[in-house]
Amino acid sequence: MGKIILLLPLQFRVLYRQFLLRVIDLEALSIEADIPGFIGQFAGVLIFISAISALKALSLADAPPEILRGICWTAEQQHISGIMLVVGLFAVVSWDATFPDKRDALVLSPLPITSHVILLAKLAASSTIIGVAILSLNFAAGFMWPLLVAKAGASDPLRAMAAYWLTMMAASAFLYGTVLTVQGITALLLPRGLFLRLSALLQLAAFGLFLGVYFLQPTIDNQAAMTTASNHHLLVFLPSFWFFALFNQLNGSLPASLGSLATEAWIGLTLAVTGAGASLLFCYLRTMRKTIEEPDLVPGARGLHWTPRLGSALQTAVLFFTIRSLVRSKQHRVIFAFFLAGVLGTALFSVKDAWWAGRRMPLSIDFLASSYLMMVLAVVGLRSVFALPITLHANWVLRTTQLRSTRQYVAATRYTLLLLAALPAWLLTVMLSYSIYPWREGVAHLAVVALWGLVLTELSLLGFYKLPFTCSVLPGKTNIQFLFWGFFVFGVIFAYMFADFEIHTLHDPARFRLLLAVLVAISVCLWSLNWHRARSAVLYFEELPQETITTLGIASLS
Amino acid sequence: MLELRNVSKHFCKIFAVDDVSFTARPGEVTGYLGPNGSGKSTTLKIITGLIEMTSGQILFDGKSIHDDLIAYKRRMGYVPEEPYLYTHLSGVEYLVMISQLRDLPTRQSSERIDGLLRLLSLYDDRHASISGYSKGMRQKLLISAALLHNPDLILLDEPFSGLDVGSALILRSLIKELAARGKVVLFSSHELDTVERISDRVVILHRAKVVADDSIERLRSMMDLPTLEEIFSQLVVEQDFAATARQIAELVHG
Repeated sequence: MGKIILLLPLQFRVLYRQFLLRVIDLEALSIEADIPGFIGQFAGVLIFISAISALKALSLADAPPEILRGICWTAEQQHISGIMLVVGLFAVVSWDATFPDKRDALVLSPLPITSHVILLAKLAASSTIIGVAILSLNFAAGFMWPLLVAKAGASDPLRAMAAYWLTMMAASAFLYGTVLTVQGITALLLPRGLFLRLSALLQLAAFGLFLGVYFLQPTIDNQAAMTTASNHHLLVFLPSFWFFALFNQLNGSLPASLGSLATEAWIGLTLAVTGAGASLLFCYLRTMRKTIEEPDLVPGARGLHWTPRLGSALQTAVLFFTIRSLVRSKQHRVIFAFFLAGVLGTALFSVKDAWWAGRRMPLSIDFLASSYLMMVLAVVGLRSVFALPITLHANWVLRTTQLRSTRQYVAATRYTLLLLAALPAWLLTVMLSYSIYPWREGVAHLAVVALWGLVLTELSLLGFYKLPFTCSVLPGKTNIQFLFWGFFVFGVIFAYMFADFEIHTLHDPARFRLLLAVLVAISVCLWSLNWHRARSAVLYFEELPQETITTLGIASLS
Repeated sequence: MLELRNVSKHFCKIFAVDDVSFTARPGEVTGYLGPNGSGKSTTLKIITGLIEMTSGQILFDGKSIHDDLIAYKRRMGYVPEEPYLYTHLSGVEYLVMISQLRDLPTRQSSERIDGLLRLLSLYDDRHASISGYSKGMRQKLLISAALLHNPDLILLDEPFSGLDVGSALILRSLIKELAARGKVVLFSSHELDTVERISDRVVILHRAKVVADDSIERLRSMMDLPTLEEIFSQLVVEQDFAATARQIAELVHG
């Protein structure tokens, strides 16, 4: 392998290594971040999920073929939509990474490097990461499930395995190719300034779309249901079902009625790959020059700079500073979007059954737990993003204009957290509750969720004597495994325990009043604790300068 | 009146500012000079309260600034050496945020913001992101922010950096005008010619210590030298410029 790599041109190898390290948007990660370690942690999470899925397959090894058939049918759908979600999220995180940016244009253009070497190096870097994702997510499941599929359909295990892996690669290539095609066409058609603005919106839209489709798409566990007219009309628009049909075609188990879906997969794959290739090629030929020639000073739209007075002057300043940082800083936007994706995913998960049933449902533990989790993700998400610096060197601006007590600054931060995290999460719960659940129980639950939001906001302010974005807890150093499993194991279990408790109190007014009183007392206690502590606290601003030089880390070699 | 009494600042065992004392009076422009690394910017950061001094005292209108730092900050305007700003904001958003942080009345501040942007030729680009601003435009924005609240003490660290000729001429006159209106103006600069033209008195710093503190006129007559440049050279320059330049050229040329 090493010898093959050495046969590649030196320019390609150098650029590939560079691009591999920054395939996840450098702006979204600190310069100090250990990017290979960060990717490794994500791969670890995927491997763990794969292992759990493989264990499930192992436990079903002795099941009779007729039962296995139904289970495998749904498992195949889940695995395909799972890999599409992972690749989709990667496409969002590595947004723009495959396209030429100003930095590449300015640094690489004066050097004797052709555009196609840059393009190939970038494509190779992105493909490497997608390959790691496919391998990790199917690390164990990709061997166990095809064996089970072969047993259920009395087919060739090797063919099932080959079909499985080819389908995973095809689904990933389709999704990533589609994203590149859309980005490429937009970049080619629009003026550069407008494209950069629209690109940020497209990134967030793609985030919502991938999650929405993943959580809302139905799982169909038998062939008869899949071929009914109403379902078939829906499946035509869901790419994961095209690739499900493709898998069955490659495995030799495709029912004739699903042949059109497999054809759609082939057409979609061809269009996505050729579209991505063509648009990337054109972008490298045309936009490299356009990128260099673009003016630095891009006039802004006047309407976007409206600053109404919301609260005191300080509250308004902190609120708008936060909104503008979240909207305009890619680093903050992407990380907060991850938390919002969690909120959206949880919301969609909680209403999926009612959505498909098309009628009002009784208040469920799933919905109650989901609404707490939405609140946690929103408040914790925004509070986490507050801890990412935007420009430490510009902290002097806030320090020289610090004309109020620390308590007032903490109050302004609280106001921002409530307005930008707790309130939207609560309004989302109101919307879901109003549209699906009985209103009286729904209203009672909304009161609990509102208090839950206040408690979380106060908890997140404990010891936080800072303004948003003025200190440097850097992304890329977070232990993803710890956060992911900590949230799932403790967060979800606690939410379900509390939901179970709440659903009982909803039918017992005395206990419900007690629950409200306890939540009010906790939030008041936490508020007064923060209030008293802030009185003697000094507002903290990060003193450390941002790293401007990245070391090669080769000191130990000398 | 701004008064520094025996102000020192050391980082580990290195003195960045060593026993510095001088006075800047209302109605006067005080130039603060020194070679790179002499401690000028550190002194200005100490005066703004951004850096704590190791020892000494700073008085403004007879009161220690640390007795009521917030009241002092209300009366101070500062233009730093490096134009570090929140570049994701537009020029007008930045100034509005400063006016809100300073708790200025909305109407008054919006009139001032509009006026300053127009007079400093930033009005047409007020809605553009600061990230696209040139160094000169950022400098003008910093000057606008420093003057927005009509401060009594104006601290300017290399304020001419990046400004075009026209803007530099406006700023020169502005500094004199502000001093004439009773403000205390302290500014550091490497442009000796500019300092000589607009300063009433100069404080020269060398290796963290004050080596001269007087009016330019008195320094000229005391040292019997015709220009500030020659006074500065005599006091702080330890290099033979021509010889160094020759060595560099020889090194590069081979």
